[in-house]
Amino acid sequence: MERLKNWVTENPDLSFAILLSVSVYTFFAITEPLFFTHRTGFAIMERFAVLGLVGLALTLCIIAGEIDLSIGSNAALAAVVTVRFTDDWGAINALLFALVISTSIGAIQGYFIAYLRIRAIVLTVGTLMLLRGVALFAAEEKTVMLTDFRIPDFISTKMLGYFSPASLLVIAMFVAVGLFMAFTRYGREIYAIGGARKEALASGVSLQRPMIIVFAISGFCAGLGGVIIGLRSGTAQALGLQYLLLAGTVAAFIGGVSILGGKGGVIGAAIGTLTVNFLNTGLVFNVTPSFMVQLYLGILLLVVIMFQTGSRVFEERQRRGQLLDDVDRRRRILSDKIAGLRRPSG
Amino acid sequence: MTDVTASTGETPNLVQRIRRDYSPLVIGMVGLFLLVFVAGAAFTDDFLTWFNVKTIIRDAALVGIMAIGLTFVTLSGNFFLLSMKEIAALSIICFATLMSADWNQWGTIDADPTSWSLFMTFLVAFTATMIIATIAGALQGALIGLGGNPIVVTLGAAGLFFGIGSWWSDNLVVSYRRPHGAEWLGTGSFIGDIPNITVAFVIIAVVAELVLRYTTFGRQVYLVGANRAAGRATGHENFGMAIKCCIIASVCAAFVAVAFSGQVSSAHVNYFSSEFGSSGDMTIMVIAIVMVGGNSIMGGYGSTLRTSLGAIFISSIDNMMVLNGFNSGARVLAVGLMIVFSIIVFALVRRGSRAVE
Repeated sequence: MERLKNWVTENPDLSFAILLSVSVYTFFAITEPLFFTHRTGFAIMERFAVLGLVGLALTLCIIAGEIDLSIGSNAALAAVVTVRFTDDWGAINALLFALVISTSIGAIQGYFIAYLRIRAIVLTVGTLMLLRGVALFAAEEKTVMLTDFRIPDFISTKMLGYFSPASLLVIAMFVAVGLFMAFTRYGREIYAIGGARKEALASGVSLQRPMIIVFAISGFCAGLGGVIIGLRSGTAQALGLQYLLLAGTVAAFIGGVSILGGKGGVIGAAIGTLTVNFLNTGLVFNVTPSFMVQLYLGILLLVVIMFQTGSRVFEERQRRGQLLDDVDRRRRILSDKIAGLRRPSG
Repeated sequence: MTDVTASTGETPNLVQRIRRDYSPLVIGMVGLFLLVFVAGAAFTDDFLTWFNVKTIIRDAALVGIMAIGLTFVTLSGNFFLLSMKEIAALSIICFATLMSADWNQWGTIDADPTSWSLFMTFLVAFTATMIIATIAGALQGALIGLGGNPIVVTLGAAGLFFGIGSWWSDNLVVSYRRPHGAEWLGTGSFIGDIPNITVAFVIIAVVAELVLRYTTFGRQVYLVGANRAAGRATGHENFGMAIKCCIIASVCAAFVAVAFSGQVSSAHVNYFSSEFGSSGDMTIMVIAIVMVGGNSIMGGYGSTLRTSLGAIFISSIDNMMVLNGFNSGARVLAVGLMIVFSIIVFALVRRGSRAVE
C-alpha cells in the first residue's frame, strides 16, 4: 500500500491516465451489456492496432518537443502504395516497400528539421499537403482496391483470444520502442532534447540524431498504421485517414505527455490509446454518429489542455509569489538590521 | 553600417539591397521559381487574358480573405489555427440554417432579389454568424493566450466545431431557395463585370494592410510576434493579443463561409474539406498561402499584402495547371512543393540571423 502511494505521487500523470481509462471502461461496461464481452475486447484490440501506432508516434514526437502533423498523410500514402502494389508484387513486398517509403520520409523530415533549425510544425504542415499530393498521384485520384481478399482475412484472424496478427505486431512494436526509450542512450537523448533543448545541445547532444530517430520512428508507425488499415479493409483512399491526427493527439495527451516536451512514455501512450478506444467503441454501441465522436474527442483534448495549461500557470504564479515573498522577507531582515545599526549611533 | 553604398551616403538601389540582404542561394531559388512561373504564363494559351485574370482573382478571393485573417494570428507569433475550415463549416451551417428558418422571413416569399425583406433576412443571419464566429475565436484565443499550444488547442477546437456543425445540421445539406438576400455577395457584381467577392477581397486586403501599418493595434501585433518578452515588459500581454487575432481570423473565415453559401444557396459541413473541393483541404490551403506569401511563421515579420499576393500567386499556378490539363493530384502536389520550398527558403534566409530556438 505504501509503495502504491509512493508510485502514485511519483507518477501523477500516469495514475490519472489509468484512473481515467478504468473509469471509462467501467462506465461503458455497466451501461452497455454487450461491452464487457470477448468479442468487444477483440474489436477494441483491432482498433488499438492502428490508433496505438499513431498515439505512439505522436507521443515520441511530443516527448522530443515537436509535433508531426503529416502523420495522417503519411499513413494514407503507405496505405495507397501497399494496396496498389499488392496485386503485382505480393503483400509482403508491397508492405515492405511502403514501410521503407514512409520511414525514409520521416527520416528526411527529421533531418531537415534539425538542419534548418525550424519547428517541426512548420515543416510538417507543408509535407502534410505534399504527401497528400503524392498519395493522390500514386492512386491516380481513385480509390484503389485489392482483388485478392485472403490477405484481409489473414490480418483479422483471431489468435490467443483477444489478438490478431496486426495487434500482436503493434504490441511488439510498443515493447520494442519502450525498451529503446528507457534503456538506450538514443532514447535518453530524445528525452533530453525535448525537456531541455538548450542544455542538451550545450552538453554535446547532437540535434540531428534524435530528430532523425524520432521522425523515422514516427514515419514508420504512421506507415505501419496505414498498411494495416489498407490491407485490412482492402481499399485505400489518398484523402482518407485525416481523423488519425486528432485521435492520436488525444491519446498522447491523455497518456501524460506535456507540450513542453521531455515528459511521458510508451506506457502512457498505450493507456491513452486504450482510453480513446474504449470511448470510441462505447459510443458506437450507442449508435453515435462519427462526427459526435469527433466532438467528444475535441472536448476531451481541450479539457486536458486546459488542465495542463492551468496547472502550469498556477505553478508559475505560485513560484513567482514565493520568490517575491522571499525577497520581501530578506529585505525586511536587512532593513531591520540597518535600523538596528543606525539606532545606537543616532 | 559597413556597406559601401551606405558610407558614401547614397541610398542603395533595389538590386543592391536585394544582394545585401539575401544569400545567393536564396536569390537563385526564388529566381528559378519566378522563371518557371513566367515561362508557364508565356507558354499557356489563354492565360494572359482579361477574363482569365478575373477568374484567377475571383478564385483567390475566398481563400485569400481567410488567409488575411490568419495572417494576424501568424504575425502575432501564435503559429496558425488548424481550425479555419471548421470555423467556416460551423459558420456556414449557422448562416444557412438562419436563412432558411421560418421565423426569419420578413415579407412575402416571391419578393424581388433586391427587396428590403430579403436583405433583412440576410442581415439577421449574417449578424448571428458573426457572433458565433467571434465566440469561437475568443474561446480559442483565450486558451492560446493562457499558454496552450496553438496547434493542439485548435486541433481540439476543430473537432469540437466540426462536431457542433454536423450535429446542428444532422450532417445534411441545408439549402434555401433563390432569390435570397446573400446573392449580391455570392454571385452579384456592382462594378461592371467584376464580382463583388473580388471587390470584398481587395477592400479587406487594403484595410488589413492599413490597420497593420498605421494603427497602434497593428504595431502591437508585430511587437508581440517579434519579441514576446519585450511585449510583456511593455504591457502587451499575449493573452489579449491572441484573443483579438483569433477573433479576426474567425470573423474572416465566417465571412468567407457566408459568401460561399451565397454562391451555392446551401450549406454542408464538408464544403471546406478535401472530400468536397478538388484542390485540398481549406485549412492547409490557407496556411499554404500565408507561408508562400513569405510571412515568417514564427511571427513578427510579414504583412497581409504578402498574403494577398501569395493567394493570387497560388491561384494563378493552380489556374495554369488546370489550363494545361493537370489532375487534382498534381495540383495538390504543386502547392505542397511550394509550401516546402518557401519554408526552406525562409529558414535559409533566417539562418544565422537568429539564435537557436
